[in-house]
Amino acid sequence: MTLFRLALRSHRTGLLMTALVVSAGGLLNAVGFAQIAGDTPSARAVFAQQMELLARQLTYLLPAPAQLDTMAGYLTWRWFGSAVLIYAFWALLAGTGAGRGDEERGLIELWLSTGASRMRLLEVRAAGFAAIAAVSIAVMLAVTDVGAAIGQEPLPLGPLALEGLAMWVLTLFVFAFALLVAQLVTTRRGATGIAGIVVLALFMLNAAARSGVDVGAVRWLSPFYLFERSAPLLRGGSLEFPATAALAVGSVLLIAIAIAAFIRRDIGGPLLRGAPRSSRVAWRPSADPLLRTPVLAIVDQQRIWIVAWALGLAVLAAFLTSITKVMVDAFGNSDIPILRAYFERAGINAYADFVGVIWFSTLLLLISLFVVVQVNGWAADDAEGRLETILSAPVSRARVVVERVAAVVVACAVIVATSSLAVYLTATSTGISLPAGRFVFASAAVLPVAYAFSGIGHALVGWRPRVAVAILGALAIVGYFAQQFGPLFQWPDWVTNISLYALYGTPMSKDDWSGIATLIVIGIAGTAVALVVMRRRDVGR
Amino acid sequence: MTTAIQTKGLTKDYGAGHGIFDLDLTVNEGEVFGFLGPNGAGKTTTIKLLMGLIHATKGSATILGLDVDRDAVPLKHRIGYVPGELPQFGGWRGSEIVAYIAGLRGDMTDSAVEAVAKRLDLDLGRKYREYSHGNKQKLALLLAFAPMPALLILDEPTSGLDPLHQQEFYGLVRDARARGATIFISSHVLSEVEHVCDRVGIVREGHLATVGQLDQLAGMRAHRIEIVFAGPPPVERIRAIPGLEQVAVEDHRVSGMFRGEFEPLLAALANSRVTKFESRETSLEEIFLGFYK
Repeated sequence: MTLFRLALRSHRTGLLMTALVVSAGGLLNAVGFAQIAGDTPSARAVFAQQMELLARQLTYLLPAPAQLDTMAGYLTWRWFGSAVLIYAFWALLAGTGAGRGDEERGLIELWLSTGASRMRLLEVRAAGFAAIAAVSIAVMLAVTDVGAAIGQEPLPLGPLALEGLAMWVLTLFVFAFALLVAQLVTTRRGATGIAGIVVLALFMLNAAARSGVDVGAVRWLSPFYLFERSAPLLRGGSLEFPATAALAVGSVLLIAIAIAAFIRRDIGGPLLRGAPRSSRVAWRPSADPLLRTPVLAIVDQQRIWIVAWALGLAVLAAFLTSITKVMVDAFGNSDIPILRAYFERAGINAYADFVGVIWFSTLLLLISLFVVVQVNGWAADDAEGRLETILSAPVSRARVVVERVAAVVVACAVIVATSSLAVYLTATSTGISLPAGRFVFASAAVLPVAYAFSGIGHALVGWRPRVAVAILGALAIVGYFAQQFGPLFQWPDWVTNISLYALYGTPMSKDDWSGIATLIVIGIAGTAVALVVMRRRDVGR
Repeated sequence: MTTAIQTKGLTKDYGAGHGIFDLDLTVNEGEVFGFLGPNGAGKTTTIKLLMGLIHATKGSATILGLDVDRDAVPLKHRIGYVPGELPQFGGWRGSEIVAYIAGLRGDMTDSAVEAVAKRLDLDLGRKYREYSHGNKQKLALLLAFAPMPALLILDEPTSGLDPLHQQEFYGLVRDARARGATIFISSHVLSEVEHVCDRVGIVREGHLATVGQLDQLAGMRAHRIEIVFAGPPPVERIRAIPGLEQVAVEDHRVSGMFRGEFEPLLAALANSRVTKFESRETSLEEIFLGFYK
C-alpha cells in the first residue's frame, strides 16, 4: 500500500462522518428554506426581513446575512457558515492526528523505517487530507444542491464550486496550522488543546468584529474573516481572490514550516526542548494525595485539560454576556410573529432571560462535547491497556464505571462553576441584574445533563467502543440543532423534544423539576446498562 | 500440597480454532510454573482468563480457592500481574502511575516500591512516554512485585529487558519464591524457563500438550545422532531401528533423533564399518520444538 493510500485511509472515518453530517445539514436547510420562506416575492421579503433581524443578533455565531430572500443567500448565511466550523473542527483533529497521533501509535517510526523521508511523509499526509476534504465538501455541496433543486431553486454550479473552493482552502489552513502545532508539543491531546484554543480565538476575533466590536486590522489574522470575504453564490458576489489566495498560501507555508520542524525535531520529542531535567533520580511514588483518592484521582490526571476547558468556556461566557444588551436592545419591540414565537418559546423577555437562553444552550452543547471527549478517553483506556492495568488491581468493574461517571460530573461542576462565575461577573459589570438563585439553579441543572450523557456514553462504550463517540456526538449536535432551530422553523414539538436538552427546560424563567428528574433517571439507567455491559464484556476486545 | 491455580475444562473459543480449549491445569502453591508456547498458542488468553479480564466460553478456574470470575476483586489483593502487552500511560510520570495503582491496591508501601525500583534501576521521575520498552517493562514488574503478592502471574515478563536486568528479574522471582509465593510465567524463552521454573506446561494450538517437572521433560529428551559409514549405509536396517526418527541420509552420512535404549542401534550397526558416531542430548528447546512438528 502506498503512503498516499495510507493517508487517504487514515481520514476515511472523518470523510464518512463529515460527508454524512454536513450533507444532511445542507439538505435539511435547503428543503427547510423552501418550506418556510414562502412562494411569493412579498412572502419572501417578509421572511427575509424576519431572518435578517434574527441574523443580526447571531453574528457571534454565523456570518453576516445577505439576500435572505433567496436560497443561495439563506444557505450562505445559515448553512455554509456553520458547515465551515464543522470542517475546521475536523481539520483540527486530522492535523494533530497526522502530526502527532500516528507518532504516538508508533506508525511514524514504522513508515520512516521503510525508507520514506520525513518530508514525504507529511507532504503525503497533507495531500491525502486535501483530497479527502475536497471529496467531503464536494459531496456536501452536491447534496445541498439536490435539496435546493427539490425546493425549485437549484444553485448555479460555477459559484457553488467557488463556495466549495473557499471552504476547502479554509479547511486546509486549519489542518496546516494544527499540523504545525503538533510539531511543538509531544502529545496529540496537547496539540489539539493548543490548536483548538487558537482557532477558537481566531473565530471569536472575527465574531467580535461581526458583532460590532472594533478590532481593527487584526481581523485579517482570522482565517474565518478571510473565508467570509467570499460570497460567490450571492447576486453580485464573487470569490475574493486575495483572501482565498492568502489562505492557500498560508496553508502551504504552514505545511512547509511543519515539515521543516518535523525534519529538525526528534521523533517523540517537541521541536523546542526545555532545559535538561535535574539528574536526581526518583525511586518513590508521587506524594500527590489526590492520585490515591477515588474519583479525584481521575480528575487529577486531567487537571490541565479541565482547567483549559474551564478557562475557554469562561472567555466564551464573558463574550456572550458582554453582547447581551446590544442584541436584546436590537430586538426591542419586535412584532414579527416568527421571532416573537421564537422568543416566547425560548422564554426570552429580558436581558437575564437572554443570558439564560443563549449562554446555557451553548454551555449545554459544550459540556456535552466535553463528555464526548471523556467517552473517547474511556474507549482509549480499553484499547491502550490502561483498563487492563486498573482491573489487575483489586477494583471491581462496577467501581470503574461509577468512578468514571462521577469524575465526569465533578469535572463538569468545575467547568460550569468557572464559566457561570464569568457570566455573573460580566453581567454585573455591564449592568445586567441576574437573579442569583435562579442563575445558580440553572448552572447546577447543567450537571444532570452531563450525567445523562455520561451514563449513555458509558453504556455505548461498553457495547461498541469504536462507535460510542460518533453516536454520542451525533446525539449532542442533533439535539442542539433541534432545540435551537425547532422554534425558529416551527418544527413540531416532538422534534424539539427529541433532544435531551429539552429536559433541561428554561430554569432561568421557570422550574422544571420533572425534566431534571428525567435527566437523572436517564443517567441512572445509562449507568445501570453500563454496569451490566461492563460486567459481561471481555476487556481489550 | 495445596493448589494455587486450578482450571477445569477451561475454554475460550474465539472461533476459527483461536483461543484455548479444555484446559485442565493445576499449579501448586509455592512453585514456579512455566507456561510455554509459541505466539498465538493461547498463553495470553489463558492468563487473561485467570485474571478475570475475559470470560470463559465454558469451564472454570480457581485461584487460591477463589473463582477467578466471581471473586475477581478479593483475588486481586493476592495477585501481582504483568500484562503481555504494555499499557500506554502517555505523559504520566512513573511515580504518578505507581501512586495511582498503589491507591487502587491499598497494599503497596512506598518503601517496597523504592526497593524494587532500586533493584531494577528504574527512575520513577521520568514520563512514561520517555521510557524505553525495557523501562516500561520494569515498571510493569515493579507494579507486580512491590505489593509482595501470594501469586504472580507474569506474561512474557522479560520482554525488552537487557541481560543484566533479566538476572535481576530472576532474583526477584527467587526472592518471591523464598517467601512462599507461587509464580506463573508465560514465556517462549526456554532458557528463562530452565532458569527459574520447577514445572512446565506446553501449550499448542490452544491445547495443553504436556505438563511435567523440568527433570521429567529432560527424561523425554532424545539424542541427536549422526553416523558416518565407510561405505553405503544400510538404510533399510537403520530405518527399522526402534526409536529412531527423522532419519536423513546424505551419501555415507545418516542422522536422526533417537529415543530409548542404545542396544538395538548398536546391534544394527554391528556389521557395518562406521568412521564416525556422534550422539548428543537435545536441549529443552528441541523438545519444545518437537511438540510443534
